Amino acid sequence: MRSRVADVLTYFVLIAWTVVVIFPIFWMVTTSFKEKLDVFLGPKYLPWVDFKPTPKWWVRIFTVERRELITPFVNSLIVAGISSFFAALLGSMAAYALTRYRFRFGPMKNDDILLWIVSQRMMPPIITALAVFLMFRVTGLLDTHMGLILVYIAFNLPLAVWIMANFLSQIPQSIEEAALVDGASRAQAFFRVVVPMVLPSLSATFLLCFVFAWNEFLFALILTYSKAQTMPILIAMQHFQRGPQWWDISALSTLAVLPPIAITIGLQRYFIKGLIPIGK
Amino acid sequence: MSVRRRKGGRVVQWQGRLFLTPTVVILLLLTIFPFLFTLAMAFGKVSFEGGTLRITITGVRNWTRLVHDSRFWNSLVVTLKIVSLSVFCEYVLGLLLAMLLNRRIRGQTFFRVTFLLPMMLAPIAVGYIWRMMLNDTRGPFNDFLRHLGFRAVGWLSDPNVAMYSIVLTDIWQWTPFMILILLAGLQGIPKDYIEAAKVDGASGWKIFFYVTFPLLAPASIAAVFLRSVEAFKIIDIIYIMTGGGPGLVTESLTLYGYSVGLRAFDLAYGATISFSLFFVVLASSVLFFLLTRKARQISLE
Repeated sequence: MRSRVADVLTYFVLIAWTVVVIFPIFWMVTTSFKEKLDVFLGPKYLPWVDFKPTPKWWVRIFTVERRELITPFVNSLIVAGISSFFAALLGSMAAYALTRYRFRFGPMKNDDILLWIVSQRMMPPIITALAVFLMFRVTGLLDTHMGLILVYIAFNLPLAVWIMANFLSQIPQSIEEAALVDGASRAQAFFRVVVPMVLPSLSATFLLCFVFAWNEFLFALILTYSKAQTMPILIAMQHFQRGPQWWDISALSTLAVLPPIAITIGLQRYFIKGLIPIGK
Repeated sequence: MSVRRRKGGRVVQWQGRLFLTPTVVILLLLTIFPFLFTLAMAFGKVSFEGGTLRITITGVRNWTRLVHDSRFWNSLVVTLKIVSLSVFCEYVLGLLLAMLLNRRIRGQTFFRVTFLLPMMLAPIAVGYIWRMMLNDTRGPFNDFLRHLGFRAVGWLSDPNVAMYSIVLTDIWQWTPFMILILLAGLQGIPKDYIEAAKVDGASGWKIFFYVTFPLLAPASIAAVFLRSVEAFKIIDIIYIMTGGGPGLVTESLTLYGYSVGLRAFDLAYGATISFSLFFVVLASSVLFFLLTRKARQISLE
């Protein structure tokens, strides 16, 4: 009897939190389908009941406003895509070295080097951002894809190294050793044997880095001003230029959160099995 | 982590370094060097003479200015308040939800993936959504309050409330992080311990306080620590929801450092403010580790 009460309470709380999570997302999506009046005349909730949905803002951002939208969207794709590719690749190479070789730089051994790399993530970005702004101003990297890509590689590397070190320390080394005995070089063993074996984890790492780079705000705010602006900056700028035009900005925000949502659903297996080796 | 000794020849070690070098170089160039650069600016003066950048060291002048800057102290207090309040609520909520998810329930995957969503969304979009929802006249929050017969609240316009609205948004976005780590921690607790306590006749609350909670201490400490470090950096939600206002009641350290450094273009003083955040995070980490030392020892026994 007691456990039935507990079960009912459990489902009640879980469903209540589901509503808490879903409602803001629902609010954003429905707002992007509202007429101006439906926004101004106080909150309307249910499409087809409280208000008649209109696709016109979506049509508008893909037609009239296409030119304003397309550059930041493509910038976000390029910057997040390329930087995450390199973060995952270089990160797994570093993780591979740290799990297969024994290093010693002064007093630092492998675990210290790993800790040093991972701890870079804790640095508040504003500290480095001001200096990077000046460095980029001097080198002409301000407002370029290249600049933002470099910053995001550094931003995501600690995470990539951490996750991949965890994966690589778990896979058996006998197969790559067989390849080495057959005369393959370390690089060949890594790219031809190890990478194919950990490809699923490597893609998961790539996608996670992609989400973080896609969402990043402070560096993009400081290091870009027009050509290389990303989606979060577009949303912030539109908001300050247009004030209360909720419908347009809701459509843009929906567009900005779709890739991360798709990635989260695609990676559910990894999250549930523990992609992030923190709890250990 | 297993580190196996390979044929210790020089060639092999050279290859290993080659694999590690790009990561180390990038981090030295884009994290460590800028860090030292900011440190130099914080003790100096930045000028552009004919397009060339020049930093002159002037000693502790920026820091005496900082100590007498009431706006700095305000942003420090605001940041500390936001961090402690949100991290505390996120931990309590996250623990409750993780424990419920750890029960045998239907729809396990659905709940877990749904609960994860907020932390994957761009903070700038999340801030915008909450700004719409907390709007005085057109947002659902005041609409609910009106229907329940309460007075409308100036969620983002009332200086006494605005900070709590930021905290609320942060809780919505980051409770998932707590759930993720605490659930992993709960699943690592051997079932035998809990069964044994049940056999001994311990009640649900007793099991929680004497078995589950102590065994969960390492995960709890990691979750609270990592979340706090992230929370100290807060800017994006505030930037879009209140811009630091009304007045300065929601201005965080990062936002103040940004405004001084890049809006007022006083880079040296902006660097000083930013660098103080480093000390705050460092001091908080040390304090946190001292405070949890006892808990960590207990959990080891």
